[in-house]
Amino acid sequence: MLKFISKFTTSFIALNVIASGSVAATNAELKIGISQEFETMNPLIMSMSASTYMARMVGRTLVTMDADGKWIPQLAKEIPSLEKGSAKIVGLGSKKKLSALWEIIDNAKWGDGKPVICQDFITAHTIAISDTVTVAEKEQWTQVEKIEIDPKNPKKCRFIYEKAKWDFYQLGQFSPVPTHIEKAIFEKYGKEKEGYEKNSNYVRSPLNSGLYNGPYVISEVKLGSHVSFSPNKYFYGIQPKIQKIIVKLIPNTGTLEANLRSGTIDMISVVGLDLDQAISFEKKARAEGLPFTFHFVPSVTYEHIDLNLDNPILKDVKVRKALVLSMNREDLVTALFDNKQQAAIHNISPKDTWFTKDPKYVTLYPYSKHSAGKLLDEAGWKMGKDGFRSKSDQRLSLLFQTTAGNKTRELVQVYLQNKWKQIGIEVIIKNEPARVFFGDTMTHRKFSGLAMFAWVSSPESNPRSTFSSTAIPTQKNGWSGQNFMGWKNSSVDQALDKLNLEFNPKKRFELVGNTLKYYTEEVPALPLFYRSDISVTPHNLKNYKMTGHQYFETNNVEDWTLN
Amino acid sequence: MINFIARRIIQTLIVISVLSVVVYYLMSLMPGDPVDMMVASNPKITAEDVIRLKSLYGLDQPIYKRYSRWMETTLKGDLGYSRTYRVPVEELMAPRLWNTFILSFLALFLSILVAIPLGVLSALKPNSRIDTFVSFLSFGGISIPSFWLAIVLIILFAVKLPILPAGGTQTIGLGEVGLWAELLDRAKYLVLPVLSLSIQQIGRFSRFTRSAMSEAMRHDFIRTARAKGLSSQSVIWQHGFRNALIPLITIITVSVSSLFSGALLTETVFAYQGVGKLVYDSIIGNDYNVAMISFLISVGSVLIMNLVADIAYGFADPRIAYK
Repeated sequence: MLKFISKFTTSFIALNVIASGSVAATNAELKIGISQEFETMNPLIMSMSASTYMARMVGRTLVTMDADGKWIPQLAKEIPSLEKGSAKIVGLGSKKKLSALWEIIDNAKWGDGKPVICQDFITAHTIAISDTVTVAEKEQWTQVEKIEIDPKNPKKCRFIYEKAKWDFYQLGQFSPVPTHIEKAIFEKYGKEKEGYEKNSNYVRSPLNSGLYNGPYVISEVKLGSHVSFSPNKYFYGIQPKIQKIIVKLIPNTGTLEANLRSGTIDMISVVGLDLDQAISFEKKARAEGLPFTFHFVPSVTYEHIDLNLDNPILKDVKVRKALVLSMNREDLVTALFDNKQQAAIHNISPKDTWFTKDPKYVTLYPYSKHSAGKLLDEAGWKMGKDGFRSKSDQRLSLLFQTTAGNKTRELVQVYLQNKWKQIGIEVIIKNEPARVFFGDTMTHRKFSGLAMFAWVSSPESNPRSTFSSTAIPTQKNGWSGQNFMGWKNSSVDQALDKLNLEFNPKKRFELVGNTLKYYTEEVPALPLFYRSDISVTPHNLKNYKMTGHQYFETNNVEDWTLN
Repeated sequence: MINFIARRIIQTLIVISVLSVVVYYLMSLMPGDPVDMMVASNPKITAEDVIRLKSLYGLDQPIYKRYSRWMETTLKGDLGYSRTYRVPVEELMAPRLWNTFILSFLALFLSILVAIPLGVLSALKPNSRIDTFVSFLSFGGISIPSFWLAIVLIILFAVKLPILPAGGTQTIGLGEVGLWAELLDRAKYLVLPVLSLSIQQIGRFSRFTRSAMSEAMRHDFIRTARAKGLSSQSVIWQHGFRNALIPLITIITVSVSSLFSGALLTETVFAYQGVGKLVYDSIIGNDYNVAMISFLISVGSVLIMNLVADIAYGFADPRIAYK
């Protein structure tokens, strides 16, 4: 027994000496920490951010968006366009369709050496549009009516789009799946409800390298723990420099820092730290001279407050303008975020090519307590002795809701409550768990005053589902749509309808500008700030470029190097 | 005895069935379903997507139909499919349950191993220095929040003195290193979570042991045993401790049944791949299949441990009959 204990202790200490302690990461291995759960990586079905982050290491699409927000070809040789003649509008009148010629790069291969061909896109399309498969955003698949393969070249095909829309080429999520592996599964189980996704090789044998066409393949996966990646020798691009990448789940964001310091992980990904934790850690790291680089990159995530325009108080645009004028967003981002997040002026982020602050389109509301008070006076809200305004014995009081337990949002609430109190508006905070807030209060428009949350969008995205009057959730439409404000503006509706069909970029920008004009003039929502994406990397990690949008930095993981 | 156990197992099955209806219904009352949550975070999901997904998930069906279908498939041995992780429930839960089992039982074993001698010692020497010291340790253990203790342990043993890993279940990519090396590797990752879970339990168990043992040692039969000339060890363990066992069996079996959910915080802080966080996430995310199976295991373990306690009472005290 004593011999056993002695052997155990000696081996234990030896193992610790070898395995523990923080050592600088090298190209031999990079361990990335994430704090969000991930699912199986079937590109047609996955929806979690952490899965998307990893999926870009193993899978590539026809096109993608680079760090500057520009669409670039990835598996495609080039992006078809009307100008080049590789895309053309076919049909007449309202039945106008679009035909585009795509060609897959010659050396694009799956991890088992089989070429990526147009049939792989047809297989993906067939599976994704099936009624038995739970693809979330089906429109991106159904917009492609047909894919015709060139009989002479299996890598060349014509996509027929059901509508002639300018953004037809934005198929960033349109992933191929390997026909030689997945087609048989779909044929066997595709008729059962969720049959394909339960039996797909992405679930049953995720280590099959033939499922992946990116710079890496998956070499080990444990849901709820980690995923290991090793280079894909058949990758079409340059071979990755880092020989092994491990993405490790650390669900408690509070311990990410300790894990990084101890060397359990080498970097914290964009799906990791909260802003306040990152700011605090950055200060400590600087003071202690830790070998980490902190990245704060403005993203397309728009944090804002939706106003319920059915509320009699908020129906008055003067009250809405008074609210936005008295917010002092510049001070808010300085005081609470150390200027690591940018104050918002409308829903379109500076990362987006549609962003503008041209006064022709955008009404700006620089902080002015005086102007806000004047507007409230004009609206008939008179200041009382108790410091709050009232009209016809009704106090100017509004309910302010957001997700309970979100420290950043709760800080913002307190800040704004104080600012609005200064102009005589009483704000009562009533927060709810995210599940209740998003699952019931917002979707059924049960909030009576102000609701703070964020929209995660992508550059050049039509805000129809959040701005159009047809997208106001009602019982009649089954509570669908996300225009929670209840904003109705026929000019905006028309502009949004035209936007998708406008091929001229200048005219498109004009349409977006007109929408912004009404949005900033009528103030149906209060813009707060554009969130920043955050990551922490070792000093020696080179060629790492954060994007700030959903096409994560793992999109160019093959360029990363730790020398 | 066999009749008693059979009767209790039947009762257990009835309780589980009734509670499963109640829990399924309560879960359906929670605001928002998985599709609602998806809609609220993704402006690109259309009204058609909502209708289609609700139909595919069966969320458009009345609750009794959904429950019947779930029960029918579960009884056939198909535990369903996790909509969050997109894998069959058994594949998702089995390894995590095993990990939680190892963590929880090691923590319990260590707690009992340390707490019972401490409690007995404390009871045998009331108001002594040892008693004061043990009481101080016990109250300290009970009072320290487990998540705080976990973070302190990480800072001490993973950051300041880097001798143990900050989190995880085993070294990633360890490969084929043999059973011995694999066991050692697992052990390394278990030290801090087990310590974190045990310290609180040691505090509780030692207090209970002290109290039960003090009570037992005041009985007349202890005086009689001493008068008969029995050795002090025999008096303490055969007469005193055996009589103190009844309350200890109760508290230990209750602890075992709550270990399933009790390790949630520890598992989260140490990124330990257990079932605790999975259960929490499945309830929050309305992942019905995972949540319901977790519930069955949780209720089952409470009822089974109650049965174990009842049987153990009889062994500890032959006056208790199985009728």
